[in-house]
Amino acid sequence: MKSFDRSDSKLVLAHVLFAFAALFIGGVAGLLQSMVKSGSIELPANIGYYELLTAHGVLMALIFTTYFIVGFLYSGVSHTLGGKLLPVSRKLGWYGYALMSVGTVMGVIVILLGKASVLYTFYAPMKASPWFYIALALVVVGSWLSGFGIFYQYIRWKKGNKGKLSPLFAYMSVVTMLLWQICTIGVAIEVVVQLIPWSFGWVDTVNVVLSRTLFWYFGHPLVYFWLLPAYICWYVVIPKVIGGKIFSDSLARLSFMLFLLFSIPVGFHHQLMEPGISPFWKYLQVVLTFMVIIPSLMTAFSMFATFELYGRSKGAKGTFGWVKKLPWKDVRFFAPFMGMLIFIPAGAGGIINASNQMNAVVHNTLWVTGHFHITVATSVALTFFGILYWLIPAITGRVLTPRMNKLGMIQTIIWCVGMFFMSGAMHIVGLFGSPRRTAYNTYNDHPDAVLWMPYHVAMAIGGSILFIGVILIVYNIIGLLRAPRGETEYPIGEVSEASEKTPAFLERWGLWIGIAVALIVFAYTLPLVDMIMNNVPSPGYVTW
Amino acid sequence: MPKPEDKKEEPALKGTFASVMLLGAFIILTWIGVFALFMARN
Ligand code: HEM
Ligand SMILES: [Cu+2]
Repeated sequence: MKSFDRSDSKLVLAHVLFAFAALFIGGVAGLLQSMVKSGSIELPANIGYYELLTAHGVLMALIFTTYFIVGFLYSGVSHTLGGKLLPVSRKLGWYGYALMSVGTVMGVIVILLGKASVLYTFYAPMKASPWFYIALALVVVGSWLSGFGIFYQYIRWKKGNKGKLSPLFAYMSVVTMLLWQICTIGVAIEVVVQLIPWSFGWVDTVNVVLSRTLFWYFGHPLVYFWLLPAYICWYVVIPKVIGGKIFSDSLARLSFMLFLLFSIPVGFHHQLMEPGISPFWKYLQVVLTFMVIIPSLMTAFSMFATFELYGRSKGAKGTFGWVKKLPWKDVRFFAPFMGMLIFIPAGAGGIINASNQMNAVVHNTLWVTGHFHITVATSVALTFFGILYWLIPAITGRVLTPRMNKLGMIQTIIWCVGMFFMSGAMHIVGLFGSPRRTAYNTYNDHPDAVLWMPYHVAMAIGGSILFIGVILIVYNIIGLLRAPRGETEYPIGEVSEASEKTPAFLERWGLWIGIAVALIVFAYTLPLVDMIMNNVPSPGYVTW
Repeated sequence: MPKPEDKKEEPALKGTFASVMLLGAFIILTWIGVFALFMARN
């Protein structure tokens, strides 16, 4: 077994550790938020609720995720495309890391100084300090450099291996970064063309609906940028971890391409309640949104099939006998598996959110907050946590001890219990109408609002349990870094013998990018023209 | 690549089929649940 390249190991580890530092600070903010909302504590007068909430959203949703994803993808690209990164790719990885880190530090300082309490969606006409937007731009440009490093490694590999199918991990990494490239163009235009000049005062007004549209052109693919790396773990790594096989290479590749196609031209499903966009275009984008159910169910099918085939190979009988054969005591399986399981209600919730009428029921309520705490903060986060237990040993030349495995199991259970209370309460009280993005408020003791309070207390209990989970994951990372030396294999699954050969058209990038661009142009051109022609300019506001 | 005459047995995926059906049913039921709420509030 070949050990992981030492200098690549540094790059990967730097990303992973930065990600979890962000998770820790974001976790402190999250804990405080849930305490404030339930009336358990009051913040000192000089810290605003929205300052905390901005820090939480930015550090969790943008920083924790992006750093972990870049580190994880680089690790797999290094391992599967030649065993080490090419010098150019490694350099791009470090430059990206440096730019993103300057951006993150700058952004967090501006937020904590109270100059940018605009939340992680930074909707105009709320106006932050220009340095906040510049910080965001640095993070995005940094992530581009990291993406280019992955593209470069892949292209060079293809050149050296003419006619060969690329490794599945690398292929999926390229799709993920391609999605990111295409969607971040929208937010880059918003920030550089609209927000920075306006925030510096070079122009007086901003086109609000245009800025929000550019944001959500990025904002929905953003959630697939979080999910696809978790799917890489599910499709490629989990089969190996359990000792089974990848059900079908073609199915895996096709589902990723469909995610690329159907996760971009759909941003309007976040703007269903907004004026300024005609119902026809909203309808069209909702239809495209629903198309994403196809690759999602393909993914579910493929996972069930991997599990069932493995269980049957171990002699399982009956329709569900294979469930018992899965390695329930192995955290490398258990944590991502809980992520998969929780993705079932999470996905069902997503379909509800995207349905126009029901969006009216849940829009801007805590239901939505509950939704993304089980999607990104559980399905994705638990998968990322589960990756740590083999990734850190594999890249640092150590082994996972039974004790660390056990701590990992406990951490996973704590996270699930905490989320059950917090996200469960958010979903229910959201259906009762309790709004998201609010500090403690009983609305003059309005009877409705008073009834929400017990749920807010349940959220605070869940939040406190989750915070213990945050501390434990940090403790576990330290434990993994100090584990005994030894060899740990980087787990990459093999494809089942029963599956068919992968057709070459799945790697015809021009074709897929062409379709993606055509769909985007179709879904966005006329609405954008309409927004630009019928601009309702707004000055900026500092609402905090 | 297995040709049809190989008579390779299709893997048994009964459980997978049942699971995916249950998953679909769950999605439809939750959807109907919230839709009912929407209708009740209108
Ligand atoms: C210790 C664990 C966590 C706790 C206690 C927690 C708590 C909270 C609470 C109470 C809110 C809502 C506040 C409101 O709407 O007024 C919130 C919002 C949010 N959380 Fe978390 N959370 C945790 C972990 C995470 C993780 C891991 C992620 C993502 C990876 C995440 C992403 C978000 C986002 C994006 C928002 C929305 C911010 C906004 O509305 O602008 N959270 N969190
Ligand atoms: Cu979306």
